[in-house]
Amino acid sequence: MSPLRRFLRTPEAVTGAMLLAALIAMALSASLLFPGDPQAIAGPALLPPFQDWSLPLGTDRLGRDVLAELFHGARTSLAVGLAAAAAALVVGAVVGTLAGFAGGLVDEVLMRITDAFQTVPSFLLALAFVSVVGPSLGVVVIAIALGTWTGPARVARAEVLSIRERDYVAGARVIGMHPLAIAFREVLPNALPPVLAMSSVIVAAAILTEAALSFLGLGDPNRVTWGGMIAEGRAVLRTAPFLSIVPGIALVLTVLGVYLAGEGIVETTAVRRGLS
Amino acid sequence: MSLLAVSNLTKCYRRGDKTIAAVDDVSFHIDPGETLALAGPSGSGKSTIARLVLRLIEPDDGRIDFEGSDFLALSGAALRARRARLQMVFQDPLAAFNPRATVARVLDDPLRVHGIASRAERPRRIAALLERVGLIADLAPRAIHEISGGQRQRVAIARAIATKPSLIVLDEAASALDVSVRGEILKLLLDLQRQEKIAYLFISHDLGVIRSVAHRVILLDAGRIAENGDAQTVIDAPQSAIGKALVAAAPRLNRTLMRLASAGLD
Repeated sequence: MSPLRRFLRTPEAVTGAMLLAALIAMALSASLLFPGDPQAIAGPALLPPFQDWSLPLGTDRLGRDVLAELFHGARTSLAVGLAAAAAALVVGAVVGTLAGFAGGLVDEVLMRITDAFQTVPSFLLALAFVSVVGPSLGVVVIAIALGTWTGPARVARAEVLSIRERDYVAGARVIGMHPLAIAFREVLPNALPPVLAMSSVIVAAAILTEAALSFLGLGDPNRVTWGGMIAEGRAVLRTAPFLSIVPGIALVLTVLGVYLAGEGIVETTAVRRGLS
Repeated sequence: MSLLAVSNLTKCYRRGDKTIAAVDDVSFHIDPGETLALAGPSGSGKSTIARLVLRLIEPDDGRIDFEGSDFLALSGAALRARRARLQMVFQDPLAAFNPRATVARVLDDPLRVHGIASRAERPRRIAALLERVGLIADLAPRAIHEISGGQRQRVAIARAIATKPSLIVLDEAASALDVSVRGEILKLLLDLQRQEKIAYLFISHDLGVIRSVAHRVILLDAGRIAENGDAQTVIDAPQSAIGKALVAAAPRLNRTLMRLASAGLD
């Protein structure tokens, strides 16, 4: 059975993929369906959902369209989640490969740096970084990546330690290949599968961290974020709970979708490797 | 002058507070175009010597002269450049290649690394190398795991000869193959030796094979040279205790098969 068909036969994976597809569709269609500034005032303040069909999910305290905010917020969540996870995976894989392949002093130094980052709670690290540098989308991405690259680095190093003893690495040395070429051409690609298996967890965590930062007011102030929407709705939690519940549900479904789809991909590729 | 001269080579491993000498004061030489076999029981230091000669591991003591210069004095780019002249074929041809590689990439690497052929010229060189080892050029785009064990070992030999080496270390290069394929691979190695004057350091536990392909043999026991001399003389009438034990342990069936195989090789 092909991996795609096996993926499609797993209900969790299909659910995850559908949620993820919906999220991507929201993010891509945001400026088509809701052109203009989502932070502009669109109607009366605190309009409840399903009252006015030109504003289906109602308006917030300032009269902004909640549905438009939701769509534009999907962009931020997805962009930050993917960018932060990609940065963390790349940095982690490179650091882990260098440490594992070089060994000795290089390994010692790189792993102590990794330890130092790992001992600080990653959210605290992100919080401190953003409050020092100032909130913007790029800074938030770096802040999240700063706390998450250590996991991939450790996994990559462990994998590289076993791969570097294989005959084909000795063969590459006999051929006269440069050590860096061996590390990144021969060793790294074969060490990647277990590192990539972590990506769904990392993307999900990155989306949550971004929401948490925005909730605390440390997100990019020029962008709509789900975390920021929840924080905004908190002030009127008793009179207009939907303002917090709607983006909250969106957040839960997104994290769930990323996680389920990621697990589905890992499962199907793992089975394929087991068979071959 | 000899092609490779190894003198007083020593390599120790520390296990706990005990020091075990894997290779203990070993000296030998190989002449151009000659096959020197290393034989001995498991753990006698055969593979360690191979890895020391290739500078995959560093010796604790001793000297290695290759093509008239001190091989142990080389490092960095100079060492990588010299590696073109000293190649290796591994026992397990599947483990010896990157699992993601194709035949073409495996053969492209040495040509690229040593600047032997330009990018445009390399596909033609790769095809020529494949034909040189008795494979068809159409095999180039195939993945390493898709071809048979015998084909894989031929690709390994093609890779080893790509840089025109003067010495190839064959670490049990034919041992993992079945008997009929083994005979073909040995025949290919002998042909290459005759035509290109390549010397072999032939590591094997199979005295029958050694008797038919090697000029001289060194019998190792616990990292030391136990016996040393003309391959046929040593194997037909071993003098050392380990030599007698090895010959006695070689199954009669195997020797008969090898006599058949060596008859085919002549």
